[in-house]
Amino acid sequence: MRDGAWLCLFAPLAGTVVILLGGTRIPRAVAGWISTASVFVAFGGAIWAFFAFRASNDRAGITYTAWTWLQSGSFKVGLSVLVDPLSTMMMLIVAGVGGLIVLYSIGYMDGDDEERRYFAYMSLFVFSMLLLVQGGNLLILLAGWGLVGLSSYLLIGFWHDRPSAVAAAKKAFIMNAVGDATMALAFFVLIFHSHSLEFGTSFATAAQLSPTAVNLVALGLLGGAAAKSAQIPLHTWLPDAMEGPTPVSALIHAATMVTAGVYLIARTHPIFEQARTVELVAAGMGALTLLVAGLIALVQTDIKRVIAYSTMSQIGYMFLGAGVGAYANGMFHLMTHAFFKALLFMAAGLVIHALSGEQDIRKMRGIGALMPWTKWAFLAGSLALVGVPPFAGFFSKDAIIAAALHDHWYGVILAGAGLVGAFLTGVYTFRLYFLVFPGEPSAFVREHHHAHHGQEGPLTMLVPVGVLAVLAVIGGWIQFSPFWHPLTTWLAPVAQTLGVAEPTNTQEAIASVLAVLLGLAGIGVAYVLYGRGEASLAVPRVPAVQRALEHKLYFDEAYDALFYRPAAAFASWLRRDFEEPVILSTGPDLGEGALELGQGASRLQTGLLRTYVLFLGTGLAIVGVVFLVVR
Amino acid sequence: MTTSTITSVLIWLPIAGALAIWILPLSRYATGSLAVLISLVEVGFWIEQAARFNFTRTGLQFSQRTPWIKDLHVSYHVGEYAFSLWLVGLTVVVMAACIGYGFWVGRDHPRAYFGLMLMLTGATVGVFVAQDLLLFYAFFEAMLIPLYVLIGVWGGANRIGATLKLLIYTMAGSLVMLAAIIVYGLKVGTFDLVDSPPSTSRWLFLGFMLAFAIKAPLFPFHGWLPDSYREAPPEVTAILSGVVAKAGTYGMLRIVLTKFPEPSSYYRTVILALGAAALVYGSVLAFRAADFRGVVAYSSMAQSGLITIGLFSGTNLGYNGAVLQMIAHGLISASLFLIAGAVERRTTTGEFSRLGGMAKGRPALATLLMTVGVISLAVPGSAAFAGEFLILAGAYTRAWWWAAIGATGIVLAAMYVLRLISGVLHDARGPMVQDQALDLRAGELALIVPLVAALLVLSAWPAGISHHSFAGDRPLNAVYEQFR
Repeated sequence: MRDGAWLCLFAPLAGTVVILLGGTRIPRAVAGWISTASVFVAFGGAIWAFFAFRASNDRAGITYTAWTWLQSGSFKVGLSVLVDPLSTMMMLIVAGVGGLIVLYSIGYMDGDDEERRYFAYMSLFVFSMLLLVQGGNLLILLAGWGLVGLSSYLLIGFWHDRPSAVAAAKKAFIMNAVGDATMALAFFVLIFHSHSLEFGTSFATAAQLSPTAVNLVALGLLGGAAAKSAQIPLHTWLPDAMEGPTPVSALIHAATMVTAGVYLIARTHPIFEQARTVELVAAGMGALTLLVAGLIALVQTDIKRVIAYSTMSQIGYMFLGAGVGAYANGMFHLMTHAFFKALLFMAAGLVIHALSGEQDIRKMRGIGALMPWTKWAFLAGSLALVGVPPFAGFFSKDAIIAAALHDHWYGVILAGAGLVGAFLTGVYTFRLYFLVFPGEPSAFVREHHHAHHGQEGPLTMLVPVGVLAVLAVIGGWIQFSPFWHPLTTWLAPVAQTLGVAEPTNTQEAIASVLAVLLGLAGIGVAYVLYGRGEASLAVPRVPAVQRALEHKLYFDEAYDALFYRPAAAFASWLRRDFEEPVILSTGPDLGEGALELGQGASRLQTGLLRTYVLFLGTGLAIVGVVFLVVR
Repeated sequence: MTTSTITSVLIWLPIAGALAIWILPLSRYATGSLAVLISLVEVGFWIEQAARFNFTRTGLQFSQRTPWIKDLHVSYHVGEYAFSLWLVGLTVVVMAACIGYGFWVGRDHPRAYFGLMLMLTGATVGVFVAQDLLLFYAFFEAMLIPLYVLIGVWGGANRIGATLKLLIYTMAGSLVMLAAIIVYGLKVGTFDLVDSPPSTSRWLFLGFMLAFAIKAPLFPFHGWLPDSYREAPPEVTAILSGVVAKAGTYGMLRIVLTKFPEPSSYYRTVILALGAAALVYGSVLAFRAADFRGVVAYSSMAQSGLITIGLFSGTNLGYNGAVLQMIAHGLISASLFLIAGAVERRTTTGEFSRLGGMAKGRPALATLLMTVGVISLAVPGSAAFAGEFLILAGAYTRAWWWAAIGATGIVLAAMYVLRLISGVLHDARGPMVQDQALDLRAGELALIVPLVAALLVLSAWPAGISHHSFAGDRPLNAVYEQFR
């Protein structure tokens, strides 16, 4: 078990190091295979750890420490990995889906100038993400948290000669640095009270803190979670992050990193339960995000941005689930979402690849005729996303709505938001599908489409898409509450679902029926609006709303005006009107003063012996007095 | 306490080397080789010493004491505590890289140049190991003289103005400190740092503190910094910010906190405020600086502020974090300034408006700058993060707002470092970036890679320093504890 866990963690790092040190001695094509192999080795390690852990009797988890990473007096943090139900589940998702996406990248990035750098970054990302989910204490978790942010920055800005990519990468990093900072502050509170960042000690400490302190800790953690998972109000970086290569969007900005916030809440739920208000804020934040992102997705015209907003919206569901206390349901949706959202991104990647980089859905009409397999894969992903039975999303999303329904009066509101979200999901998902795939190929598509040796893409791309398409169909069957729920049982030792979030069978049934009906209604609306050829993109008859949505509700503009520009103006003012005239000129002024003083003093140099004797005597007298007084 | 001469060897070997270089009529090549050789021997001696260092034992190690002026209890007294050992290590490693850089670029007047660099090495080691106040002062001054000459002779276009500013500021600080040393020494009857008792004099505290605040520098005593860092040759700037500035924070730790516990406690809020001001002000100005060196210069000031916060938090977390951060930042800023030098050599400029797009086709430069850059912005998991985290955790126990101010530093650091990275490496190619501007050469890699490797090792094991800077985890100023 121990070896499996360490193998899982360090195999991808080894991949990065080999590619970096190998440099040009490694042929481009080989770099991709090294990276893929390193991630699949990690997957093997994850499987090893999973089965070994399942075979053992321990359910609370085992921590292995390699060495003491940071220590100061009694405050001690080891470089530890934790093997427990939650971490093994995440290891399997991250390494498994990660391996498929890295494999897909071999085909997608083929021919790029700097493939080696790309694959070194991809392996680094998988290592960081595994460090995050395997981390055996809060500080190692934070280290992984920061390193995934770094890898995300490197990969968003991979094409670094594009100013838009560089700007998007910086925005993502800085927004996440805000989250890192709030998390660090939360940790300081814990260190102050318990001198430890071990999970167990911290959770025990949280139970004894004053309500204010524990609320602050939870808020700090929530800040980190919201930034990483692109929840309102820290969400604006995610759509811009689509500047990165498409497999990056699939891996980092859909399947793994952006869902880390949900993992964090599930992992630190004992703290959040002590600060129940903050936990419900997380749920509310999720509800708000799933609605807003769903609305904005309705009017986007870039294929990747539609899916990006959909990701925000789906993570909103996960926050909603974890926030009301249904941690296992949140994690379940995290898993199925990893399957179908990675599938959607990679199918979209096949389309983009076949159209030489075009991402505007208004030009793509009818591509399904030329790429039938891609069309079916995308359709499977879309149905899973909308939650049509028996596709994966049906099982996981409905369980979240049902769990919310049970939770007091506000639960009904949250569940209502989830249901409206289900309708929106149907509309925006199938707007995308109907606009892009069915019908006669447009002139643009006929002109620009190029097949890959008679196929829809190289085998390295088609195989992962096929595997994920299967998972998007059957991946949800693992759990169908209330009939069978092995996942909830598996996670119960570390993330027990709260009683308030355990719905009755009637509530489960109501939630499922309503969510499916609303999702189908959404598909119907999309068909009426976009399904019959004329590609009208307008939200009918409400131009003001459409404009607001196209501007993503003006969040970017507001942040620019509220934070960035005042700060930049202040900094410039400080430099121009304080640093330069006051600080930097003080030295020379002092110097001139000293020179003048010197010139004054030189007049005392009369050349007369008696003057000197007088000074000498005075000086001696002063020194004498000083000595006497001081001693 | 056994006597050991190895500490003295670390001081006097480079100084003897300097004299030899000044006296012997060696060729340019021989001079440079000899200087590099001596600097490497220094590193070797230090490694040998570190391997024998007993981190569990309290008290001075590798010490040597010879009476000098018996009446005043002045002696030649040198030795090392664990934290001094790390600072000496930082000094010899950074000096070796910088002397190597001087050799690589072929500085004019090699005999004068390398002699001064070696003298600087010896004097700086002396500052970190001197255990007598007058000896400390002598090394403190001896460290400055080569710096004035190195900037004034080998610096950029405005080198004279920069040197003058540096001279005025540091002299002002030094003279006040000298007065404080004399009064303190006479008052307590000895100049020995180990034997002398603590004092409650606030005036003496301020005298020492002024000198160290200028050296560090803290806000608003940093007027000398931007010009010196910009005009000095890059390797001298690397020494100045990586090592010499650490003498300021080292002085706070070794002299101010241990000898003036009561005044330190009394003025704590003021000093913490100065540190916080340096942190925020430096970060904000780094964000607006127009060139490579400007960003690193102001960020060094921010880091000095952070280290000061750690020291004056008066907690174990803060002390350990401060020592770790001194070493980590020393390596970071030395690497960054050497990389800045490499960029300037290829493009004749460090201004972002004329740079950009250098990553394309220059993988070594891009990888190194990116690696050091992200460590310097304290990405979680890095050595700088570990130091910053301990410092702020310590500051939090003092009052929550110090940690909150420090946390804004995390965000600001991300802003200015990413601006630096993209300004040099990314976006469209700048007008001064020609095809002839090649990637880093083997010689440059041999200088910068070891520094970066040291940073990576520290990132994997920051406890190596944080847990090994004070014997038995009891900061040497147990005295200080009672005034908390």
